[in-house]
Amino acid sequence: MLSTLVSAIGFGVVLASIIAVAAMGFTIQFGLTNVLNLSFGAVMTVAAFSAYLANRHGVGGWFGLAVGGVAGAVFTLLLGRGVFKQYARRGAQLFEMMMVTLGLSLIINYAIQAISHNNIYQFVVLPSSLIQLGSILITRTQLIIVFISVGVLVALQLLLQLTKIGKALRAMAADPDLARACGIRTGQIVVLTWLLSGFLCGLAGVVYIVNAQSVGYTTGQLFLPLVVAAAILGGAGSPIGAFVASLIMGVVTEVVAAFGNASYSTVAGFGILVLVLLSRPGTVRGGQAGHTQLTL
Amino acid sequence: MTAWSYYIATLTVYFGVNVLSALSLNLQFGFAGVVNFGYIIFQAVGAYIAAVVVLGPSSGTFQQYVFGARLPFGVALLLATAAGAVLSLLIGLFSLRNIRRDYQAAILLIISLIGTQVVQGYVPLFNGSNGITGVPRPLSALPLNLQQYQWAYAGWVLLAAGIVYAVVTWLSRSAWGRALRATRDQEDAAAAIGLNVTALRLQVFVIGGAVAGLSGGLLVEYIGAWSPDAWGYAETFVIFTALFVGGIGNYRGAVLGVLLVPIIFLEVPRFLPQVGYPGLMDSVEWIAIGAAWMLCLYFRPQGIVPERRNRARRGEAAPHAAPVRERVGAA
Amino acid sequence: MLLVARDVVVAYGGVRAVNGVSVDLAPAASLGLIGPNGAGKSSFLGALGGQVPLTGGSIELEGYEIGDLPAFKRARRGITRTFQMTSEFARMTVFENLITAGHGATGASLRNVVLRRSETRQAERDVATLAWAILDRFEMSHVADLYGAELSGGQRRLVEIMRCLMREPKVLLLDEPMVGVAPHLVEKLITDLRSIRDDGIALVIVEHALEVVQELCSRVVVMALGRPIAAGSFDEVVADPAVQAAYVG
Repeated sequence: MLSTLVSAIGFGVVLASIIAVAAMGFTIQFGLTNVLNLSFGAVMTVAAFSAYLANRHGVGGWFGLAVGGVAGAVFTLLLGRGVFKQYARRGAQLFEMMMVTLGLSLIINYAIQAISHNNIYQFVVLPSSLIQLGSILITRTQLIIVFISVGVLVALQLLLQLTKIGKALRAMAADPDLARACGIRTGQIVVLTWLLSGFLCGLAGVVYIVNAQSVGYTTGQLFLPLVVAAAILGGAGSPIGAFVASLIMGVVTEVVAAFGNASYSTVAGFGILVLVLLSRPGTVRGGQAGHTQLTL
Repeated sequence: MTAWSYYIATLTVYFGVNVLSALSLNLQFGFAGVVNFGYIIFQAVGAYIAAVVVLGPSSGTFQQYVFGARLPFGVALLLATAAGAVLSLLIGLFSLRNIRRDYQAAILLIISLIGTQVVQGYVPLFNGSNGITGVPRPLSALPLNLQQYQWAYAGWVLLAAGIVYAVVTWLSRSAWGRALRATRDQEDAAAAIGLNVTALRLQVFVIGGAVAGLSGGLLVEYIGAWSPDAWGYAETFVIFTALFVGGIGNYRGAVLGVLLVPIIFLEVPRFLPQVGYPGLMDSVEWIAIGAAWMLCLYFRPQGIVPERRNRARRGEAAPHAAPVRERVGAA
Repeated sequence: MLLVARDVVVAYGGVRAVNGVSVDLAPAASLGLIGPNGAGKSSFLGALGGQVPLTGGSIELEGYEIGDLPAFKRARRGITRTFQMTSEFARMTVFENLITAGHGATGASLRNVVLRRSETRQAERDVATLAWAILDRFEMSHVADLYGAELSGGQRRLVEIMRCLMREPKVLLLDEPMVGVAPHLVEKLITDLRSIRDDGIALVIVEHALEVVQELCSRVVVMALGRPIAAGSFDEVVADPAVQAAYVG
């Protein structure tokens, strides 16, 4: 009983690490732009496939991470400037923007389905040896993934707290009008946000398929609710919050799966997301009170 | 000829059911300002309840499910409608409060995903992933051959859709409908003149849910089976696209949208020569839906069919619809 | 006394936007709330109307405690308001705006709509009659079929006010009513508000334009940083050195 629990927690930490990379990317993007970007999962899938293709062409092993990250960054920037910004110009508010991301996710996901002939492809990075930590049995790859996610957290925190750019990011996320008035180059910061969050998104996509050892058109989309839940639970814009929330989501999912039904672990994850969305302060809808704005 | 007849009759049934879905979504969105991305779960509950009520008790070996009361079809439809209403009451009670619209839409979507998982996971409820089959046809006692029966059923569905359409448009033009539009436009001002915003929204949501349940009951009694695959959340997007094309908040537009999108737009490719590998066209259809969605959001958020202005006359209690005229001002 | 507010406190997080304000309002009285930006005037108005939750204190309307009632119930008891940004229902005509307010709870209820009893039908006719009467009184009948977006700022404000009058309220709260109103219409609006007050409706007006307050309000309360710093007639208050300091310093 206890060993099942500990083993589940171990798996939970691995799952959490994967969620965390994506959630940290999502929270940075969401915290600044306020777009509930439901095409985030689709971008993850695109990056994952990029890494897969690179792998097929000889760019092996962990370099796939860089390929995926760059693919994610570039693609997200294209979407951010080429699509989201155009809709914002037409007067789209928070809700319309979410609808736009939904439509986008339909297009991207099914385009991938079409191009990939609806197949699932094997993706094995390294032959993975097993490591035993107490009653936890994980692979070397999975341990590396945990370290990657911690590394991302540390890097993000250093960036946000110590660098000038980081301070500008935080200022803009808190109050974009005030930041603009203080002379912060908001346009550039938004571009940086797309690139940074896109890189993390792509990274997360590759990390996911490294763990799952396969890639298909549904890769990112199935993952998305957990990512969004972790990001919003941890507080929009806070990488540490996203990391901690990811731990919670990952461990809960694996523990429920270990003791119950696989279906129910998904329900647990979804349930947490619903509770989070219900409880997080949102704007008063249609009223005269203050307004959460899109920053694009 | 018979194959064509079967196809058109089936298409008509789907048209009627989709009109009901569009009316439900339009009510909930146009009046309560709620984007019910979880719509399918209300249709599914109506379908499942109608199915298990009409079937005999579960044998446990072939398929497992609850109830099994072998009740007549009229009762099954009523119960399906009630099931939709009850489920939307429960869900509405906690999800209709004042939260960001995008969060709210996401919540409703997730709830339908949870529903799918629960049904798939807990087999004794509705037979899990395999679904329920063998739902007997209504009125099979009547002396109709298969073709006549299908057309009769199609006619029956259209009648139901027409009745609901009339009821819904009548409600919308009433004082109640006006109060709801006020609530949607300016929530604080509506409250400041005495309107109970929460109660109004809940009423709309429940009525929409009832219509959804009815649509599910009608559909399952035609198809004879229902499984979780039949109610993916993607279907909801098709109906929403239909609403965008036709005009949100606009009932004539909703019917037009349903005709254009699920019926014409998605069925025409069936008759085109096959391109690429089998299944490619399905993907392309979804891409097209997504593209249509984005285009509508970009160009005409108010849809194709403009709303009518209501003119007031002294001595009359309520304004009448004037000839069609473009609505002024931002959508 | 029609409306009595005692030691009203409104806190957002740790910040007390309103920190102990008390007010007595008689029928046909007109109270002006003035003060520098951030004084908490709008928050106090919101506390009276129910848009903002009451952290402390009490509010009584005709002796009945309304502090814990939601806004729509207070409106049904006779206290209604306008908003800083005109809140006319933009997708309805002016006439529809008015009759929506007239139906309020009863006519708009689903049960009444479905049953269509003769009382409901008569009530609807009465509401329509009242709407035309109000439109005629404020010389706005010619815009009855226009949408909110087709009106000027002053007209929109009037629609908002007329809509409130449809409820035959006892108290009318106005949050910066002259915002968005062209200068030549301000005088008309003041005359209209004066005639409303003369009908016996009590007014509470938050306003920055001091000349409006001077013309319209018999009593003035000056707020700064959530507290009242002076109260009395307009002339008394304006001469008060504490008030002058608050505005300048």
